[in-house]
Amino acid sequence: MVVSAGVDMGTQRVKVVIIKDGKIVTQKQNYSGFEPSKVAEQTFNDALKTANISSEEVQHITATGAGVGMVLFANSTISMMGADAKAGTYFFPTAKTVIDIGAEDARAVKCDENGVMIDFVVNARCAAGAGTFIEAMGRALEVELEDIGPLSLKAERASPINASCVIFAESDVVSLIHKEEPKSEIARAIFDAMAERVSSMVHRLGISPDVVLVGGVAKDVGFVDSLKRRLGMEILIPEEPLFAGAVGAALIAARRAQRRQ
Amino acid sequence: MASEIETGTKYIPEMSKTEIEELNSSIKEASIKVIQDNIERMKKAWKNRPKAMEYFDGISNFFGQREKELKEQKQAGKKIIGYSCIFAPIELILAADAIPIRIGSGWYDTAKLGDRIMPVEICPVIRSTVGAKMVRLSPYLELSDAVIIPLTCDGRTKLSEILSDYKEIWRMNPPRVKDDPHTLGMWKQEIMLIKEKIEKLTGNKITRKKLKNAIDTMQKATKAFRRLQELRKGPPLINGRDAMLVNQTSLWDNIERWTEKVNKLCDELDKRLEKKEYSSYPETPRVMITGTPMIWPDSWKVPNLIEESNPQGVVVVDEQCSGDRILYDPVGVDEWTTHDMFDAVSERYLMACTCPCFTSEHGNEDRINWIMDRIKEYKVDGVIYYVVRGCILYAMEYARIKRVLDKMGIPVYYLDTEYTREDVGQMKTRVEAFLEMLEARIEI
Repeated sequence: MVVSAGVDMGTQRVKVVIIKDGKIVTQKQNYSGFEPSKVAEQTFNDALKTANISSEEVQHITATGAGVGMVLFANSTISMMGADAKAGTYFFPTAKTVIDIGAEDARAVKCDENGVMIDFVVNARCAAGAGTFIEAMGRALEVELEDIGPLSLKAERASPINASCVIFAESDVVSLIHKEEPKSEIARAIFDAMAERVSSMVHRLGISPDVVLVGGVAKDVGFVDSLKRRLGMEILIPEEPLFAGAVGAALIAARRAQRRQ
Repeated sequence: MASEIETGTKYIPEMSKTEIEELNSSIKEASIKVIQDNIERMKKAWKNRPKAMEYFDGISNFFGQREKELKEQKQAGKKIIGYSCIFAPIELILAADAIPIRIGSGWYDTAKLGDRIMPVEICPVIRSTVGAKMVRLSPYLELSDAVIIPLTCDGRTKLSEILSDYKEIWRMNPPRVKDDPHTLGMWKQEIMLIKEKIEKLTGNKITRKKLKNAIDTMQKATKAFRRLQELRKGPPLINGRDAMLVNQTSLWDNIERWTEKVNKLCDELDKRLEKKEYSSYPETPRVMITGTPMIWPDSWKVPNLIEESNPQGVVVVDEQCSGDRILYDPVGVDEWTTHDMFDAVSERYLMACTCPCFTSEHGNEDRINWIMDRIKEYKVDGVIYYVVRGCILYAMEYARIKRVLDKMGIPVYYLDTEYTREDVGQMKTRVEAFLEMLEARIEI
């Protein structure tokens, strides 16, 4: 029996996944706040409790994510891209491209049939392709974050937004509001602009199907719809896309535990 | 004509003497710290660092022994000829008894000063070189009696204008297509014009014998360089950033002394090869760097990241005009006649160069071939394609080089950055993911 854990310390949330013999037993997440190390440990203990597993039973813990260094109790680390590739192929064995969109960054990974990453591209300098973009635009539109997606699906066309930078796009959105454009069309424009950035990033890598989308933003129906249209193909999304990084890390941890046995 | 334009239309803004002095001393102090920090890191990463490296550590200090020597030689009547890029024919400078020295700048702090007259979109190598001039930071540029600036890219073209506010600038106009029938002849004329300027400045004639000696000196340097490179082809005997420092110091050191010291280093490394005393474990992922020149000391942030990453990589070869491109090719002479020697010098500086300023029917063929050959020779596992923002030629060639490398099955990562220390965290994530990928491939 192999029990392992993956901890994904993202820019907004910490995610913990525990895996037993290749199957996910628990997944827990929390806002990482101002004491990320502490929160990570609490979340981990929480996950152990739910799974009814003692910390001694966990053979290996692998950490990943932008704050990987804050996970003090991890035995090893893996890059976010390596974790994405592993998780993408775990959920969908036919996956060749995994797109991960988190709060602050977007990335795409190409992987082989073993879930080993063979190429990747990161959009880390600009938030326009990432989750915080939707948050900022939601503020401008005065719409709750989870309502923007469904709202955008009501639109048949998108308002024109030219700017691809969060700051400039916000002022674009404000002037559209002043022109009294329907909110739904503005919302769609926001997702289209974001999908445009993500798709040009993926194109730099070269798209090979099947394409898997993970990360918190994969739960946003509005963005998914725009990205599908932009890429012109189906996108596979796991049930809990937010946990993909932690799942990948836990799978890597399992392999490392086995290797040590 | 010119006189009407000249008055009051210089590029560089007026700065008070106090401001210049204050900035000069604070940036200089910061730079000395960066140099020391780099050396400390290099020592820490390579426990058993050869004694011979100490010499290069010393000469890597811009504000030390070499500056002093140059000042003394200048006082004794020697001329110093700066150059911005390796299109400048070093042999001709040496043959006229002058001292060649490269003046391109790697200081991040001075790039910010360059922002006062140029938008931030401009290549930081240019902004930094101009900024260094504004506060008289670079001893090599300050001591130069004239500066050769080949107009390879747009940045350097305008750099030649800006620096001409201060210095005698000699422009060279390299052709962009190598294989047109008139190209070589045109370039030879550029070379002969520079020869005349060098002779006029120094008052020394470039005779047959002197040119032969200069070519000979540089051939010996190439031989020493190639000896070091040969040692980088097998399991790691030297960390990449140490070898990169050795190669780059050839741009400002006395070249004969440099050659001798490189041979000493190689003697030490030869012994280690016999004893299998490697600088990192033999399966360390082998990395090639290509792209924008990586100028000491601040740009060492990239090789530092690669060689301190977890998993660790080792830079075994680079394709950069700040590194392996400097001395890779010797001037090849058939007949030691004056005419033939000048022909050979012209050919070497044009044809052997793999600068992205060139183009042809098949793209930048020579650069692509060079990269492909070195990947095979040095058993490269992956390529880091390094580009600073605003470096248009390298940025644009990437897509094609990536296709070539994809075909060869060699992973490549486009590492874009700026003259800043702020992005080290983000870069670390990307470099580590890349090395992890290379390591996974090696394991399989």
